Amino acid sequence: MGTVALFILTIAAIVFSAGGILASRFFTKSVYNPQKGQPYECGIPTSGTPWSQFHIGYYLYAIVFLLFEVELVFMYPWAVIVQKIGVGALVEMFAFIVVLFIGFLYAHKKGALKWM
Amino acid sequence: MIYYLLHNLLPFKQELLLLLGIFILLLTQIFGGKQHTEWTLQWVNLLLLIIVLAGFWPVGYNSAFSNMYQLTSLNAFEKSVLAFAAYIISLQGYNWLQRFEHTYEFYVLVLSSLLGMFCMLSSTNFLFFYIGLELSTLPLALLVNFQLNKKQSSEAAFKFIMSAAFASAILLLGISFLYGLSGSLNFNAVAAKLILNPFSLVAFLLFLAGVLFKVSVVPFHLWTADVYEGAPISVTAFLSVVSKASVLFVLLNLLFKVFYHLQSVWHIVMLILLLVTIVIGNLFALRQENFKRFMAFSSITQVGFILVAFLGNAYNASTAVVYFLVIYLFSNLAVFGVITYVENAFDKQNINEFKGLYKKNKFLSWVLLIGLFSLAGIPPTAGFFGKFFLIMSGSENLNYIPWITLAAVNLIISLYYYLRVAIVVFDNNVEFDAPTIAIPQPIKLSFIICIVGILITGVGSWIYHYIYSLTAAAF
Repeated sequence: MGTVALFILTIAAIVFSAGGILASRFFTKSVYNPQKGQPYECGIPTSGTPWSQFHIGYYLYAIVFLLFEVELVFMYPWAVIVQKIGVGALVEMFAFIVVLFIGFLYAHKKGALKWM
Repeated sequence: MIYYLLHNLLPFKQELLLLLGIFILLLTQIFGGKQHTEWTLQWVNLLLLIIVLAGFWPVGYNSAFSNMYQLTSLNAFEKSVLAFAAYIISLQGYNWLQRFEHTYEFYVLVLSSLLGMFCMLSSTNFLFFYIGLELSTLPLALLVNFQLNKKQSSEAAFKFIMSAAFASAILLLGISFLYGLSGSLNFNAVAAKLILNPFSLVAFLLFLAGVLFKVSVVPFHLWTADVYEGAPISVTAFLSVVSKASVLFVLLNLLFKVFYHLQSVWHIVMLILLLVTIVIGNLFALRQENFKRFMAFSSITQVGFILVAFLGNAYNASTAVVYFLVIYLFSNLAVFGVITYVENAFDKQNINEFKGLYKKNKFLSWVLLIGLFSLAGIPPTAGFFGKFFLIMSGSENLNYIPWITLAAVNLIISLYYYLRVAIVVFDNNVEFDAPTIAIPQPIKLSFIICIVGILITGVGSWIYHYIYSLTAAAF
Protein backbone atom coordinates (compact mmCIF):
# COMPACT_ATOMS: atom_id res chain seq x y z
CA MET A 1 0.00 0.00 0.00
CA GLY A 2 2.69 2.46 1.02
CA THR A 3 4.72 1.55 -2.04
CA VAL A 4 1.81 2.19 -4.39
CA ALA A 5 1.14 5.53 -2.73
CA LEU A 6 4.81 6.48 -3.09
CA PHE A 7 4.74 5.48 -6.75
CA ILE A 8 1.59 7.51 -7.42
CA LEU A 9 3.05 10.50 -5.60
CA THR A 10 6.23 10.35 -7.70
CA ILE A 11 4.26 10.14 -10.96
CA ALA A 12 1.93 12.92 -9.86
CA ALA A 13 4.87 15.17 -8.94
CA ILE A 14 6.51 14.65 -12.33
CA VAL A 15 3.25 15.16 -14.27
CA PHE A 16 2.39 18.25 -12.29
CA SER A 17 5.71 20.01 -12.81
CA ALA A 18 6.37 18.87 -16.37
CA GLY A 19 2.71 19.41 -17.36
CA GLY A 20 2.80 23.05 -16.31
CA ILE A 21 5.86 23.78 -18.37
CA LEU A 22 4.54 21.91 -21.40
CA ALA A 23 1.11 23.54 -21.19
CA SER A 24 2.57 27.03 -21.10
CA ARG A 25 4.78 26.09 -24.04
CA PHE A 26 1.69 25.15 -26.09
CA PHE A 27 -0.73 27.89 -25.10
CA THR A 28 1.42 31.00 -25.04
CA LYS A 29 2.90 33.11 -27.76
CA SER A 30 6.46 34.23 -27.09
CA VAL A 31 7.14 37.85 -27.99
CA TYR A 32 10.56 39.31 -27.36
CA ASN A 33 10.72 42.65 -25.63
CA PRO A 34 13.95 44.24 -24.33
CA GLN A 35 12.25 45.12 -21.06
CA LYS A 36 11.73 41.44 -20.38
CA GLY A 37 15.49 40.97 -20.11
CA GLN A 38 15.82 43.47 -17.28
CA PRO A 39 16.13 42.38 -13.65
CA TYR A 40 12.92 42.69 -11.67
CA GLU A 41 13.17 45.85 -9.60
CA CYS A 42 9.67 47.14 -8.70
CA GLY A 43 9.17 48.98 -11.96
CA ILE A 44 11.97 51.52 -11.63
CA PRO A 45 14.91 51.22 -14.06
CA THR A 46 17.89 49.72 -12.25
CA SER A 47 20.94 51.84 -11.58
CA GLY A 48 24.47 50.48 -11.27
CA THR A 49 25.67 46.94 -11.64
CA PRO A 50 24.11 44.11 -9.63
CA TRP A 51 27.60 42.72 -8.91
CA SER A 52 28.55 45.57 -6.56
CA GLN A 53 30.31 44.54 -3.36
CA PHE A 54 28.73 44.88 0.06
CA HIS A 55 30.67 45.88 3.11
CA ILE A 56 31.64 42.80 5.14
CA GLY A 57 30.01 44.38 8.19
CA TYR A 58 26.65 43.83 6.55
CA TYR A 59 27.05 40.06 6.77
CA LEU A 60 28.22 40.19 10.38
CA TYR A 61 25.20 42.30 11.31
CA ALA A 62 22.92 39.90 9.49
CA ILE A 63 24.38 36.89 11.30
CA VAL A 64 24.13 38.44 14.75
CA PHE A 65 20.57 39.51 13.94
CA LEU A 66 19.65 36.01 12.76
CA LEU A 67 21.15 34.51 15.90
CA PHE A 68 18.66 36.32 18.10
CA GLU A 69 15.77 35.77 15.74
CA VAL A 70 16.32 32.03 15.97
CA GLU A 71 16.77 32.23 19.72
CA LEU A 72 13.31 33.79 19.98
CA VAL A 73 11.80 31.05 17.82
CA PHE A 74 13.14 28.48 20.24
CA MET A 75 11.58 30.34 23.15
CA TYR A 76 8.01 29.90 21.86
CA PRO A 77 7.71 26.12 22.29
CA TRP A 78 9.52 26.49 25.60
CA ALA A 79 6.98 29.03 26.78
CA VAL A 80 4.15 26.57 26.13
CA ILE A 81 5.47 23.92 28.51
CA VAL A 82 7.45 25.96 31.03
CA GLN A 83 4.72 25.64 33.67
CA LYS A 84 4.53 21.90 33.32
CA ILE A 85 8.25 21.34 33.85
CA GLY A 86 8.87 24.06 36.42
CA VAL A 87 12.22 25.22 37.73
CA GLY A 88 14.27 22.89 35.57
CA ALA A 89 12.96 24.55 32.40
CA LEU A 90 13.87 27.99 33.72
CA VAL A 91 17.41 26.88 34.48
CA GLU A 92 17.80 25.31 31.07
CA MET A 93 16.53 28.38 29.22
CA PHE A 94 18.86 30.50 31.31
CA ALA A 95 21.80 28.29 30.28
CA PHE A 96 20.74 28.57 26.64
CA ILE A 97 20.62 32.37 26.77
CA VAL A 98 23.96 32.61 28.60
CA VAL A 99 25.60 30.56 25.86
CA LEU A 100 24.24 32.86 23.17
CA PHE A 101 25.05 35.93 25.22
CA ILE A 102 28.71 34.93 25.53
CA GLY A 103 28.81 34.55 21.76
CA PHE A 104 27.24 37.98 21.38
CA LEU A 105 29.77 39.57 23.75
CA TYR A 106 32.54 37.93 21.76
CA ALA A 107 31.17 39.35 18.50
CA HIS A 108 30.91 42.77 20.13
CA LYS A 109 34.47 42.61 21.46
CA LYS A 110 35.80 41.62 18.03
CA GLY A 111 34.11 44.67 16.51
CA ALA A 112 31.43 42.87 14.51
CA LEU A 113 28.91 45.55 15.43
CA LYS A 114 31.10 48.48 14.45
CA TRP A 115 29.77 50.01 11.22
CA MET A 116 32.66 50.86 8.87
CA MET B 1 17.14 20.15 42.34
CA ILE B 2 20.96 19.99 42.55
CA TYR B 3 20.68 16.22 42.66
CA TYR B 4 18.49 16.27 39.56
CA LEU B 5 21.02 18.38 37.68
CA LEU B 6 24.01 16.26 38.72
CA HIS B 7 22.18 13.09 37.91
CA ASN B 8 21.38 14.43 34.47
CA LEU B 9 24.80 15.86 33.75
CA LEU B 10 27.19 13.18 35.01
CA PRO B 11 27.05 11.01 31.86
CA PHE B 12 27.68 14.24 29.98
CA LYS B 13 31.08 14.78 31.69
CA GLN B 14 33.33 14.73 28.64
CA GLU B 15 31.09 17.17 26.79
CA LEU B 16 30.90 19.40 29.86
CA LEU B 17 34.68 19.58 30.07
CA LEU B 18 34.78 20.59 26.41
CA LEU B 19 32.11 23.25 27.01
CA LEU B 20 34.11 24.54 29.96
CA GLY B 21 37.18 24.85 27.74
CA ILE B 22 35.23 26.72 25.04
CA PHE B 23 33.75 29.12 27.59
CA ILE B 24 37.09 29.88 29.23
CA LEU B 25 38.64 30.56 25.84
CA LEU B 26 35.80 32.90 24.81
CA LEU B 27 35.77 34.67 28.18
CA THR B 28 39.52 35.31 28.08
CA GLN B 29 38.89 36.83 24.66
CA ILE B 30 36.10 39.04 25.97
CA PHE B 31 37.65 40.21 29.24
CA GLY B 32 41.35 39.41 28.89
CA GLY B 33 43.63 42.19 27.83
CA LYS B 34 47.01 40.66 27.12
CA GLN B 35 47.28 37.44 25.14
CA HIS B 36 49.24 34.51 26.55
CA THR B 37 49.34 32.14 23.61
CA GLU B 38 51.85 29.70 25.05
CA TRP B 39 49.95 29.39 28.30
CA THR B 40 46.70 28.75 26.40
CA LEU B 41 48.32 25.98 24.40
CA GLN B 42 49.47 24.34 27.63
CA TRP B 43 46.17 24.32 29.44
CA VAL B 44 44.09 23.29 26.44
CA ASN B 45 46.40 20.31 25.97
CA LEU B 46 45.96 19.47 29.64
CA LEU B 47 42.17 19.75 29.28
CA LEU B 48 42.21 17.35 26.31
CA LEU B 49 44.21 14.85 28.38
CA ILE B 50 41.70 15.14 31.23
CA ILE B 51 38.90 14.41 28.73
CA VAL B 52 40.79 11.33 27.57
CA LEU B 53 41.06 10.11 31.17
CA ALA B 54 37.41 10.96 31.92
CA GLY B 55 36.44 8.44 29.26
CA PHE B 56 37.77 5.62 31.45
CA TRP B 57 35.64 6.69 34.42
CA PRO B 58 33.07 3.94 35.03
CA VAL B 59 29.77 4.71 33.36
CA GLY B 60 26.99 4.52 35.92
CA TYR B 61 23.75 6.24 35.16
CA ASN B 62 23.93 6.60 31.43
CA SER B 63 21.26 8.71 29.83
CA ALA B 64 20.43 12.39 29.74
CA PHE B 65 18.08 14.85 28.01
CA SER B 66 15.05 12.56 28.26
CA ASN B 67 16.91 9.61 26.70
CA MET B 68 18.03 11.55 23.65
CA TYR B 69 21.55 11.04 24.86
CA GLN B 70 22.89 7.68 25.93
CA LEU B 71 26.39 6.75 26.98
CA THR B 72 27.87 3.28 26.77
CA SER B 73 31.40 2.50 27.91
CA LEU B 74 32.30 1.90 24.25
CA ASN B 75 31.14 5.45 23.43
CA ALA B 76 33.20 6.85 26.27
CA PHE B 77 36.25 5.00 24.96
CA GLU B 78 35.62 6.27 21.40
CA LYS B 79 35.39 9.81 22.72
CA SER B 80 38.69 9.35 24.52
CA VAL B 81 40.26 8.18 21.26
CA LEU B 82 39.02 11.29 19.44
CA ALA B 83 40.20 13.62 22.20
CA PHE B 84 43.59 11.90 22.24
CA ALA B 85 43.96 12.41 18.48
CA ALA B 86 43.12 16.09 18.96
CA TYR B 87 45.77 16.24 21.70
CA ILE B 88 48.47 14.82 19.41
CA ILE B 89 47.47 17.20 16.60
CA SER B 90 47.62 20.09 19.03
CA LEU B 91 51.14 19.04 20.10
CA GLN B 92 52.25 18.80 16.48
CA GLY B 93 50.90 22.20 15.59
CA TYR B 94 52.51 23.80 18.65
CA ASN B 95 55.02 25.98 16.83
CA TRP B 96 52.79 26.71 13.87
CA LEU B 97 49.95 27.93 16.10
CA GLN B 98 52.16 30.44 17.87
CA ARG B 99 52.59 32.39 14.64
CA PHE B 100 48.96 33.47 14.62
CA GLU B 101 47.09 36.15 16.48
CA HIS B 102 43.94 34.06 16.46
CA THR B 103 45.24 30.88 18.13
CA TYR B 104 42.38 31.08 20.62
CA GLU B 105 39.89 30.73 17.82
CA PHE B 106 41.68 27.63 16.55
CA TYR B 107 41.01 25.93 19.85
CA VAL B 108 37.46 27.24 20.16
CA LEU B 109 36.74 25.70 16.76
CA VAL B 110 38.55 22.43 17.43
CA LEU B 111 36.80 21.99 20.77
CA SER B 112 33.36 22.78 19.36
CA SER B 113 33.93 20.36 16.51
CA LEU B 114 34.85 17.71 19.09
CA LEU B 115 31.72 18.60 21.06
CA GLY B 116 29.61 17.97 17.97
CA MET B 117 31.27 14.61 17.41
CA PHE B 118 30.71 13.62 21.05
CA CYS B 119 27.01 14.52 20.83
CA MET B 120 26.73 12.59 17.58
CA LEU B 121 28.39 9.52 19.11
CA SER B 122 25.97 9.06 21.96
CA SER B 123 22.78 10.30 20.34
CA THR B 124 19.77 8.00 20.23
CA ASN B 125 17.63 10.37 18.25
CA PHE B 126 17.99 11.49 14.65
CA LEU B 127 17.45 15.15 15.53
CA PHE B 128 20.23 15.12 18.11
CA PHE B 129 22.40 13.17 15.71
CA TYR B 130 21.89 15.75 12.99
CA ILE B 131 22.70 18.66 15.30
CA GLY B 132 25.88 16.88 16.39
CA LEU B 133 26.87 16.24 12.78
CA GLU B 134 26.39 19.88 11.82
CA LEU B 135 28.18 21.12 14.92
CA SER B 136 31.14 18.96 13.98
CA THR B 137 31.17 20.03 10.31
CA LEU B 138 30.72 23.81 10.47
CA PRO B 139 33.81 24.58 12.60
CA LEU B 140 35.83 22.36 10.25
CA ALA B 141 34.98 24.62 7.32
CA LEU B 142 36.28 27.60 9.31
CA LEU B 143 39.40 25.69 10.33
CA VAL B 144 40.15 24.89 6.69
CA ASN B 145 40.27 28.63 6.04
CA PHE B 146 42.38 29.29 9.13
CA GLN B 147 45.22 30.96 7.21
CA LEU B 148 43.17 33.97 6.17
CA ASN B 149 45.65 35.35 3.65
CA LYS B 150 45.95 32.13 1.64
CA LYS B 151 43.74 32.00 -1.44
CA GLN B 152 43.93 28.25 -1.84
CA SER B 153 42.55 27.84 1.68
CA SER B 154 39.52 30.00 0.88
CA GLU B 155 38.83 27.91 -2.19
CA ALA B 156 39.15 24.71 -0.18
CA ALA B 157 36.85 26.04 2.55
CA PHE B 158 34.25 27.05 -0.03
CA LYS B 159 34.36 23.64 -1.69
CA PHE B 160 34.12 21.97 1.69
CA ILE B 161 31.14 23.95 2.93
CA MET B 162 29.21 23.69 -0.34
CA SER B 163 29.63 19.95 -0.62
CA ALA B 164 28.97 19.45 3.10
CA ALA B 165 25.74 21.43 2.77
CA PHE B 166 24.74 19.28 -0.19
CA ALA B 167 25.42 16.10 1.76
CA SER B 168 23.50 17.43 4.76
CA ALA B 169 20.51 18.14 2.54
CA ILE B 170 20.51 14.56 1.26
CA LEU B 171 20.89 13.27 4.81
CA LEU B 172 17.96 15.37 5.98
CA LEU B 173 15.81 14.06 3.14
CA GLY B 174 16.66 10.54 4.30
CA ILE B 175 15.79 11.42 7.89
CA SER B 176 12.47 12.93 6.82
CA PHE B 177 11.67 9.71 4.94
CA LEU B 178 12.51 7.70 8.04
CA TYR B 179 10.23 9.95 10.06
CA GLY B 180 7.45 9.48 7.54
CA LEU B 181 7.97 5.76 7.78
CA SER B 182 7.92 5.35 11.53
CA GLY B 183 6.39 8.53 12.94
CA SER B 184 9.29 8.93 15.33
CA LEU B 185 12.87 10.11 15.33
CA ASN B 186 13.99 7.80 18.08
CA PHE B 187 16.53 5.17 16.97
CA ASN B 188 14.69 2.27 18.59
CA ALA B 189 11.30 3.32 17.25
CA VAL B 190 12.67 3.67 13.73
CA ALA B 191 14.48 0.33 13.98
CA ALA B 192 11.25 -1.40 15.01
CA LYS B 193 9.34 -0.06 12.00
CA LEU B 194 11.95 -0.75 9.33
CA ILE B 195 11.20 -3.66 7.06
CA LEU B 196 12.60 -4.44 3.66
CA ASN B 197 10.45 -2.46 1.23
CA PRO B 198 11.25 0.16 -1.42
CA PHE B 199 10.22 3.04 0.81
CA SER B 200 12.59 2.21 3.63
CA LEU B 201 15.25 1.35 1.08
CA VAL B 202 15.08 4.85 -0.41
CA ALA B 203 15.21 6.37 3.06
CA PHE B 204 18.18 4.23 4.06
CA LEU B 205 20.17 4.91 0.89
CA LEU B 206 19.66 8.67 1.12
CA PHE B 207 20.71 8.60 4.74
CA LEU B 208 23.73 6.43 4.04
CA ALA B 209 24.87 8.68 1.18
CA GLY B 210 24.83 11.68 3.49
CA VAL B 211 26.87 9.90 6.14
CA LEU B 212 29.35 8.29 3.75
CA PHE B 213 30.01 11.68 2.22
CA LYS B 214 31.72 12.73 5.44
CA VAL B 215 34.12 9.80 5.33
CA SER B 216 34.68 10.33 1.57
CA VAL B 217 33.78 6.89 0.34
CA VAL B 218 34.26 6.83 -3.41
CA PRO B 219 31.26 8.21 -5.23
CA PHE B 220 31.34 11.03 -2.68
CA HIS B 221 35.10 11.58 -2.45
CA LEU B 222 35.62 14.42 -4.91
CA TRP B 223 36.04 17.15 -2.32
CA THR B 224 38.71 15.30 -0.36
CA ALA B 225 41.93 15.94 -2.25
CA ASP B 226 41.29 19.64 -2.89
CA VAL B 227 40.26 20.34 0.68
CA TYR B 228 43.19 18.40 2.13
CA GLU B 229 45.61 20.28 -0.08
CA GLY B 230 44.20 23.71 0.63
CA ALA B 231 43.81 23.35 4.38
CA PRO B 232 46.62 24.09 6.84
CA ILE B 233 48.42 20.83 7.55
CA SER B 234 47.28 20.49 11.18
CA VAL B 235 43.68 20.86 10.03
CA THR B 236 44.26 18.25 7.32
CA ALA B 237 45.40 15.86 10.03
CA PHE B 238 42.28 16.67 12.04
CA LEU B 239 40.05 16.07 9.01
CA SER B 240 41.66 12.79 8.06
CA VAL B 241 41.81 11.27 11.54
CA VAL B 242 39.32 12.78 13.98
CA SER B 243 36.52 13.70 11.61
CA LYS B 244 36.65 10.37 9.76
CA ALA B 245 36.97 8.28 12.91
CA SER B 246 33.96 9.96 14.52
CA VAL B 247 31.69 9.27 11.56
CA LEU B 248 32.86 5.66 11.29
CA PHE B 249 32.13 5.12 14.99
CA VAL B 250 28.64 6.51 14.47
CA LEU B 251 28.15 4.39 11.38
CA LEU B 252 28.78 1.27 13.50
CA ASN B 253 26.11 2.38 15.91
CA LEU B 254 23.62 3.21 13.15
CA LEU B 255 24.07 0.16 10.97
CA PHE B 256 24.03 -2.42 13.73
CA LYS B 257 21.43 -0.81 15.98
CA VAL B 258 19.04 1.04 13.67
CA PHE B 259 19.29 -0.48 10.21
CA TYR B 260 19.93 -4.12 11.17
CA HIS B 261 16.72 -5.25 9.47
CA LEU B 262 18.14 -4.06 6.18
CA GLN B 263 21.37 -5.99 6.70
CA SER B 264 21.07 -7.99 3.48
CA VAL B 265 20.86 -4.70 1.57
CA TRP B 266 23.67 -2.82 3.19
CA HIS B 267 25.98 -5.79 2.92
CA ILE B 268 25.70 -5.55 -0.86
CA VAL B 269 25.94 -1.75 -0.85
CA MET B 270 29.02 -1.88 1.38
CA LEU B 271 30.65 -4.58 -0.72
CA ILE B 272 30.31 -2.55 -3.92
CA LEU B 273 31.35 0.71 -2.28
CA LEU B 274 34.39 -0.75 -0.55
CA LEU B 275 35.72 -2.34 -3.73
CA VAL B 276 35.25 0.86 -5.73
CA THR B 277 36.74 2.93 -2.92
CA ILE B 278 39.83 0.80 -2.52
CA VAL B 279 40.52 0.53 -6.24
CA ILE B 280 39.99 4.21 -7.04
CA GLY B 281 41.82 5.39 -3.93
CA ASN B 282 44.76 3.20 -4.86
CA LEU B 283 44.89 4.23 -8.50
CA PHE B 284 44.82 7.93 -7.67
CA ALA B 285 47.34 7.62 -4.82
CA LEU B 286 49.84 6.07 -7.24
CA ARG B 287 50.26 9.28 -9.19
CA GLN B 288 50.22 12.01 -6.54
CA GLU B 289 53.18 14.35 -6.23
CA ASN B 290 51.86 16.58 -3.44
CA PHE B 291 52.20 14.91 -0.05
CA LYS B 292 48.83 16.17 1.23
CA ARG B 293 46.96 14.94 -1.84
CA PHE B 294 48.78 11.65 -1.48
CA MET B 295 47.60 11.37 2.12
CA ALA B 296 44.06 12.25 0.99
CA PHE B 297 43.89 9.29 -1.38
CA SER B 298 45.70 7.07 1.10
CA SER B 299 43.03 7.86 3.69
CA ILE B 300 40.28 7.10 1.14
CA THR B 301 41.82 3.66 0.63
CA GLN B 302 42.10 3.08 4.38
CA VAL B 303 38.40 3.89 4.81
CA GLY B 304 37.67 1.36 2.09
CA PHE B 305 39.45 -1.29 4.14
CA ILE B 306 37.55 -0.29 7.25
CA LEU B 307 34.28 -0.90 5.40
CA VAL B 308 35.37 -4.54 4.94
CA ALA B 309 34.77 -5.14 8.65
CA PHE B 310 31.15 -4.02 8.38
CA LEU B 311 30.32 -7.29 6.61
CA GLY B 312 30.80 -9.24 9.83
CA ASN B 313 28.57 -9.51 12.89
CA ALA B 314 28.14 -6.57 15.26
CA TYR B 315 30.71 -7.63 17.88
CA ASN B 316 33.55 -8.52 15.57
CA ALA B 317 32.89 -5.56 13.30
CA SER B 318 32.84 -2.94 16.02
CA THR B 319 35.86 -4.38 17.77
CA ALA B 320 37.84 -4.55 14.54
CA VAL B 321 36.83 -1.04 13.46
CA VAL B 322 37.56 0.61 16.81
CA TYR B 323 40.84 -1.29 17.14
CA PHE B 324 41.90 -0.36 13.61
CA LEU B 325 40.99 3.29 14.11
CA VAL B 326 43.16 3.46 17.24
CA ILE B 327 46.05 2.13 15.14
CA TYR B 328 45.16 4.38 12.22
CA LEU B 329 45.26 7.35 14.59
CA PHE B 330 48.85 6.59 15.64
CA SER B 331 50.19 5.72 12.21
CA ASN B 332 48.49 8.50 10.28
CA LEU B 333 49.47 11.09 12.87
CA ALA B 334 53.09 9.88 12.81
CA VAL B 335 53.19 10.56 9.07
CA PHE B 336 51.25 13.81 9.39
CA GLY B 337 53.57 14.94 12.19
CA VAL B 338 56.57 14.66 9.91
CA ILE B 339 54.78 16.45 7.07
CA THR B 340 53.66 19.18 9.48
CA TYR B 341 57.17 19.71 10.76
CA VAL B 342 58.80 19.73 7.32
CA GLU B 343 56.16 22.00 5.80
CA ASN B 344 56.21 24.52 8.61
CA ALA B 345 59.99 24.58 8.98
CA PHE B 346 61.12 24.39 5.35
CA ASP B 347 57.95 25.12 3.36
CA LYS B 348 58.10 21.86 1.42
CA GLN B 349 54.97 20.02 0.24
CA ASN B 350 55.98 17.77 -2.63
CA ILE B 351 57.13 14.21 -2.11
CA ASN B 352 60.20 14.78 -4.26
CA GLU B 353 61.32 17.64 -2.05
CA PHE B 354 61.70 15.15 0.81
CA LYS B 355 64.65 13.59 -1.04
CA GLY B 356 67.60 12.83 1.21
CA LEU B 357 65.77 13.69 4.44
CA TYR B 358 67.49 10.73 6.11
CA LYS B 359 70.94 12.27 5.75
CA LYS B 360 69.95 15.45 7.53
CA ASN B 361 67.42 14.20 10.05
CA LYS B 362 67.50 10.53 10.97
CA PHE B 363 64.84 10.68 13.70
CA LEU B 364 62.19 12.25 11.42
CA SER B 365 62.90 9.72 8.69
CA TRP B 366 62.48 6.75 11.02
CA VAL B 367 59.20 8.13 12.35
CA LEU B 368 57.96 8.59 8.79
CA LEU B 369 59.10 5.09 7.83
CA ILE B 370 57.37 3.40 10.77
CA GLY B 371 54.20 5.39 10.12
CA LEU B 372 54.18 4.41 6.45
CA PHE B 373 54.89 0.75 7.27
CA SER B 374 51.97 0.75 9.66
CA LEU B 375 49.67 2.34 7.07
CA ALA B 376 50.79 -0.20 4.48
CA GLY B 377 50.26 -3.06 6.97
CA ILE B 378 53.72 -4.60 7.25
CA PRO B 379 53.86 -7.16 10.11
CA PRO B 380 55.93 -5.86 13.02
CA THR B 381 53.87 -2.68 13.09
CA ALA B 382 50.32 -2.43 14.39
CA GLY B 383 48.81 -1.71 10.97
CA PHE B 384 49.15 -5.36 10.02
CA PHE B 385 47.16 -6.57 13.01
CA GLY B 386 44.51 -3.93 12.45
CA LYS B 387 44.00 -4.95 8.83
CA PHE B 388 44.11 -8.62 9.81
CA PHE B 389 41.17 -8.21 12.17
CA LEU B 390 39.24 -6.10 9.64
CA ILE B 391 39.53 -8.83 7.02
CA MET B 392 38.83 -11.56 9.59
CA SER B 393 35.60 -9.82 10.55
CA GLY B 394 34.58 -9.32 6.92
CA SER B 395 35.21 -12.90 5.78
CA GLU B 396 32.81 -14.39 8.29
CA ASN B 397 30.30 -14.94 5.51
CA LEU B 398 31.92 -17.34 3.04
CA ASN B 399 30.12 -15.82 0.04
CA TYR B 400 32.07 -12.61 0.36
CA ILE B 401 35.52 -14.20 0.40
CA PRO B 402 36.27 -13.79 -3.35
CA TRP B 403 35.49 -10.08 -3.13
CA ILE B 404 37.49 -9.62 0.03
CA THR B 405 40.40 -11.36 -1.65
CA LEU B 406 40.16 -8.72 -4.34
CA ALA B 407 40.41 -6.07 -1.64
CA ALA B 408 43.41 -7.85 -0.13
CA VAL B 409 45.15 -7.82 -3.52
CA ASN B 410 44.76 -4.07 -3.49
CA LEU B 411 46.60 -4.07 -0.17
CA ILE B 412 49.67 -5.23 -2.08
CA ILE B 413 49.24 -2.50 -4.71
CA SER B 414 49.14 0.05 -1.90
CA LEU B 415 52.59 -1.18 -0.77
CA TYR B 416 54.04 0.37 -3.92
CA TYR B 417 53.12 3.95 -3.18
CA TYR B 418 53.84 3.84 0.53
CA LEU B 419 57.29 2.40 -0.07
CA ARG B 420 57.95 4.84 -2.92
CA VAL B 421 57.84 7.63 -0.34
CA ALA B 422 60.19 5.65 1.91
CA ILE B 423 62.67 5.23 -0.95
CA VAL B 424 62.61 8.96 -1.69
CA VAL B 425 63.26 9.81 1.95
CA PHE B 426 66.09 7.30 2.39
CA ASP B 427 67.81 8.27 -0.87
CA ASN B 428 71.44 8.78 0.17
CA ASN B 429 72.72 10.25 -3.07
CA VAL B 430 70.85 13.54 -2.87
CA GLU B 431 71.28 16.36 -0.40
CA PHE B 432 68.18 17.61 1.44
CA ASP B 433 68.44 21.28 0.59
CA ALA B 434 67.52 22.82 3.92
CA PRO B 435 69.41 23.41 7.14
CA THR B 436 69.04 21.02 10.07
CA ILE B 437 67.15 22.51 12.99
CA ALA B 438 66.35 20.94 16.31
CA ILE B 439 62.85 19.48 16.66
CA PRO B 440 60.86 21.32 19.37
CA GLN B 441 59.96 19.36 22.49
CA PRO B 442 56.14 19.08 22.00
CA ILE B 443 56.58 17.74 18.47
CA LYS B 444 59.18 15.24 19.70
CA LEU B 445 56.75 14.12 22.41
CA SER B 446 54.00 13.58 19.82
CA PHE B 447 56.37 11.44 17.71
CA ILE B 448 57.32 9.31 20.69
CA ILE B 449 53.64 8.79 21.58
CA CYS B 450 52.88 7.75 17.99
CA ILE B 451 55.82 5.34 17.73
CA VAL B 452 55.08 3.72 21.07
CA GLY B 453 51.43 3.48 20.05
CA ILE B 454 52.26 1.79 16.75
CA LEU B 455 54.57 -0.73 18.37
CA ILE B 456 52.46 -1.49 21.46
CA THR B 457 48.92 -1.58 20.05
CA GLY B 458 49.68 -4.34 17.59
CA VAL B 459 51.51 -6.65 19.97
CA GLY B 460 49.50 -6.01 23.12
CA SER B 461 46.54 -8.30 22.69
CA TRP B 462 45.01 -6.96 25.93
CA ILE B 463 44.03 -3.80 24.01
CA TYR B 464 42.00 -5.87 21.57
CA HIS B 465 40.41 -7.80 24.43
CA TYR B 466 39.63 -4.58 26.26
CA ILE B 467 37.82 -3.18 23.20
CA TYR B 468 36.02 -6.50 22.74
CA SER B 469 34.75 -6.40 26.31
CA LEU B 470 33.49 -2.86 25.73
CA THR B 471 31.62 -3.83 22.55
CA ALA B 472 30.16 -6.89 24.24
CA ALA B 473 28.63 -4.57 26.81
CA ALA B 474 27.45 -2.06 24.22
CA PHE B 475 25.52 -4.25 21.77
